[in-house]
Amino acid sequence: MRYADFTHHDLLLLLQGLGVSVALFVATTIIGSIIGLAWAMLRYYRTPLLAPLAAAVAELLKNSPVLVQLFLVFFGLPVLLETDLTPVQAALITLSGNTAAFVYVIAVSAIESVGREQLETARVFGLSRWQALRRIVAPQAAAFGFGPLAGLLVNQLQVTSLISVIGVVDLTKAGAILNVRTLKPFIVWTVIGVLYYLMARLIARSCARVETRLRAHSQWKGL
Amino acid sequence: MIQIDGVAKRFGANTVLDGIDLRIAPGEVVSILGASGSGKSTLIRCINGLEKLDGGTISVDGHRVDDPKQLQLARRCCGTVFQLFNLYPHMTALQNITLAPIEVLKVPRRQAETEARELLAAVGLAERADAYPAQLSGGQRQRVGICRALAMKPRYLLLDEVTSALDPEMTAEVLSILARLAESGTTMLFVTHEIEFARHISSRIVFLDQGRLLADLPTDRFFAADGGLAQPRIAQFLSKMSKS
Repeated sequence: MRYADFTHHDLLLLLQGLGVSVALFVATTIIGSIIGLAWAMLRYYRTPLLAPLAAAVAELLKNSPVLVQLFLVFFGLPVLLETDLTPVQAALITLSGNTAAFVYVIAVSAIESVGREQLETARVFGLSRWQALRRIVAPQAAAFGFGPLAGLLVNQLQVTSLISVIGVVDLTKAGAILNVRTLKPFIVWTVIGVLYYLMARLIARSCARVETRLRAHSQWKGL
Repeated sequence: MIQIDGVAKRFGANTVLDGIDLRIAPGEVVSILGASGSGKSTLIRCINGLEKLDGGTISVDGHRVDDPKQLQLARRCCGTVFQLFNLYPHMTALQNITLAPIEVLKVPRRQAETEARELLAAVGLAERADAYPAQLSGGQRQRVGICRALAMKPRYLLLDEVTSALDPEMTAEVLSILARLAESGTTMLFVTHEIEFARHISSRIVFLDQGRLLADLPTDRFFAADGGLAQPRIAQFLSKMSKS
């Protein structure tokens, strides 16, 4: 006989899955952003060899399915390095790399959206390339890039659900477990879907608030 | 002294500057006239080290512009005002002016802000210190641009068609400030289409045509019938400009 009713324990499983999804999302967003921005810096400073290399890696990562990358890391990397990789480690590596690739693309186009004359003006006034980046280019690029970044983050949140296939018990995996046991797919997957939806809304709204602040200078306040 | 010796600049097959020799001594106000595309703005960009020279040398007070190590020192001698203002849109007027003094000259913030407010007051913008460029009119933006250049206490002020993007009323606002600067002994290299104004404030006029320096004469000689006007190309240019 199977026990098909919902229990308090199920809620715990759900919360645990939610926690794993959020934690992985936050961690890979931070790591991915740092790496992606670092790659964009290589390009800004026109670093020989490294800049084209970063561009090529980003190109590879953003043009292949995340699931394939995940399998490659989870099943392939341990063979190559002769080490063990836990599902969570594999998920961290894959999703960070994927986020990095897209953050790189967004950062590069945001930097290019800042008029060339802005950088030239700063340089003519004696600012170093780094000072020009920090004070002139980056603040303006951030305003351009934040909208696309918000879209990316919402998407990357959904992408975290892929890691359930290698056995990480995230929100989707928790849903799959509950679904198999209770045989109530409509209730289970609706709850899971709503939870993803709420998280996505939260990300989009926080991003929109930051973006408004970044664009404050272009708001017309009257003469 | 700004020394320009045999400077050449090409963009592909197009020769923009062709063996320019020019000296600008402290205290001079030199206007550069010439049709669009004659290389005036490119010459300013070369002095600023924004273009790689294809020949010749430029030095500002002995600092070679074409040497990356000396470029920084050369740039500190010059203040530039741009045709399209090039203000930093995410900074207030005050921040636009104080940025380089604080970051480059290491002036304490308070002192930089006090000086910036004095400059703004001198151009009639004391009340607009905290406005962003988007909230200012074109003439006001260019006045901020002039303050930003002056805040670096440059020995040479480079003005690149600073009134070309302004309507006649705003042009008058900006020109009156430049006239005051010229009278106070500021050294200026003034690229312009405002011929009457150039005649009024300049000690010397330089005429560029298709990348060549056709004339470099004291102002009264330039406009004299047996001086600059004796050259057909200059006479033609001046008569065309006075008709429009």
